[in-house]
Amino acid sequence: MLFEFDAEQRLLQKTVQDVVAKECPPALVRAVADDDADIRPLWQVYAELGWTELVDPTETVELAIVLEELGRAVDPTAYLATTTWFAPLAPGVAQPGQTGSAVFDGVTARPDGQGWLLDGTARFVLDGDRADWLAVVTPQGVFTVPSSAAVATRTPVFDPLLHVADVRFEGVAVTGGNLSGADPQRGRHIALTGMALTMIGACRRILDLVLEHVRTREQFGARIGSFQAVAHKAVDMHVAIERARALAYFAALTIAADDPRRRVAASMAKAAAGECQSVVFRNGFQLFGGMGFTWENDLQFALKRAKAGELLLGGAAEHRALIAKEYRAADI
Amino acid sequence: MQLTFDAEVERFRAEFVAFLDANMPTAEEATERSRSSAHIPAWARRWQRLQFDEGWLLPGNPPEFGGRNAGILEQYVHLEELGRRHIYHSFNPQGLGIIAASLLSFGTDEQKHRWAVPILRAQITAALGMSEPGAGSDLASLRTRAVRDGDDFVVNGQKIWTSGAHDADVLLTFVRTDPDAPKHRGISVLLIPTSTPGVTRRPFGSVVSRDDLDFNEVFFDNVRVPAENLVGELNRGWHVANGSLGHERTLLWLGFSHRLDDLLADFTPVGPLDADQYATLAMDALALRLLGSAALARAARDEQDVPALSVLKVFGSEASQRHTERALESAGPAALLHPARTAPDHHLRLDTDGAGWFERYARSFAGTIAGGTSEIQRTIIAERVLGLPRS
Repeated sequence: MLFEFDAEQRLLQKTVQDVVAKECPPALVRAVADDDADIRPLWQVYAELGWTELVDPTETVELAIVLEELGRAVDPTAYLATTTWFAPLAPGVAQPGQTGSAVFDGVTARPDGQGWLLDGTARFVLDGDRADWLAVVTPQGVFTVPSSAAVATRTPVFDPLLHVADVRFEGVAVTGGNLSGADPQRGRHIALTGMALTMIGACRRILDLVLEHVRTREQFGARIGSFQAVAHKAVDMHVAIERARALAYFAALTIAADDPRRRVAASMAKAAAGECQSVVFRNGFQLFGGMGFTWENDLQFALKRAKAGELLLGGAAEHRALIAKEYRAADI
Repeated sequence: MQLTFDAEVERFRAEFVAFLDANMPTAEEATERSRSSAHIPAWARRWQRLQFDEGWLLPGNPPEFGGRNAGILEQYVHLEELGRRHIYHSFNPQGLGIIAASLLSFGTDEQKHRWAVPILRAQITAALGMSEPGAGSDLASLRTRAVRDGDDFVVNGQKIWTSGAHDADVLLTFVRTDPDAPKHRGISVLLIPTSTPGVTRRPFGSVVSRDDLDFNEVFFDNVRVPAENLVGELNRGWHVANGSLGHERTLLWLGFSHRLDDLLADFTPVGPLDADQYATLAMDALALRLLGSAALARAARDEQDVPALSVLKVFGSEASQRHTERALESAGPAALLHPARTAPDHHLRLDTDGAGWFERYARSFAGTIAGGTSEIQRTIIAERVLGLPRS
């Protein structure tokens, strides 16, 4: 297999980096966290550039490139939920520029006349409080409904940028017209891979900030990055990121090719991203010393995003259990 | 990004597979074991010579040096197929990968034909004399002296860790030729036949066994070496060292990749802790292959980035070690047995032949120590990949 970006993918990556540097700078992210700044103009930029339409599964590698860079910028919009939770479960449902999320479990569909009634409460739905649409996975199929059909309440969380919500369905009537026909398994694989790339992007941001810090901070008459105890911790962060990135893009590639290995590959992506954030969070926070412990330091946003990803959609240990069970049969 | 190679590369693979299927040594032929990294049993000499003559030994070389001018992706596919079958390229890996490669890069035409070709055709074997008692990780501080005297160099000093020296016909030896120059600038490289008077080789046992003889101390006592045996320019030996080791490093990760694949086959998880570790092993094996293939693609475009290869070495060697330890501890008291069988019987799979988990774990430290320790690799990565200040 040939595992590197082609020329177009490299160009996309560069474009995303340039746009993000200009449109989603650290100052904006901080303004969102501190003052709840308006993110609609930023979302508009993403939509105008066509990034919100990168939802055809064959474009998963391109979507992955955008997600990694947005993770690196600690994107404050609902891009991840819209493109990787909602869109794969509801192709063609939303208008361009609309947002969405998904309820993966916790809701049942009970037959009622010609249709069904949706009942139940899903917890920790990413961007559930600010999505225009919801895709609801039930044993009877995947239903898509306008978010106004459910009651969503944002959950107070440690990460000031993270939106997660309790989404409650009380006898919401749906019909066959609400069934999306999407494959919930593949949707889940895209969600896992997207989350992995977001985490990896955040980890890269942590490493960027740490490298900048240890290259300039002086103690004992030397830049602290020259001390091996410091440098080798940074190297371990780099190695963990490289490993997780390789597995995440492999998963994206298997999804794009609709290769059956995508099931194990997506779990590998999520597990490796989880292992990566553990090393990067620990070493990154530690190497920043007291300065990383302050609200004023932007390190916090990337740390919190990376760790939040581990806590959603199953942690590394859960995915390793699946990998251990299925690896030999998956023929990777 | 693509999940498969282009058709042209796959055609190359098919051709090589056909060669292997027709010519691979059989179990009946391959009875004698190699006893050191410079000892090639007769059957393996025939096998290596056949690969040379058919252009399959080092496909990237021109035909006169055992290849067919193949590109880097073809070379990768070639090694992948060898690895899949647990076949050694050569039972004198350093002779092939470092010494002959150095001669082809830096030697004269005369040296290429007199020394490199016989090494490649398994007519003679070679060992690498780099490390000394006082020059391990800090190789440039080596002290073995060579002084010009008429048409000869006279060599005095000592090497250590010289793998396979007692079975080798020639040593590629790094010597100090200018003691007054800064330490990287006064080093030269000499080919020293081991039959030369004054060369004494003392093999010593490894941690595996008193009888596991690969390491050597080599003493040079007024050894006269013809000046024509100088490889590369006088006092430019550091350049040769970087070139030959860099060449080896492009594909060094593949050895760790094969070891991880072996572990995936040989280690059967028992409880949930084992299963958890097994999943990490599966991820490590795949990630190393993915990262390695990306490095190869860069090399194919001549964008070789040697410090980035240190990432593969640290990752691959430490992953093999960690997972071998898990397999060892999972086996419980049975892991104490020595010798023992932990891999399926396979006549060409000599590295795990009769090796229990304890031995395999002990041997995994070769990966994190030899060829630049993990600590040295991390410092290289910190400075040259991450751009941190020098320590």
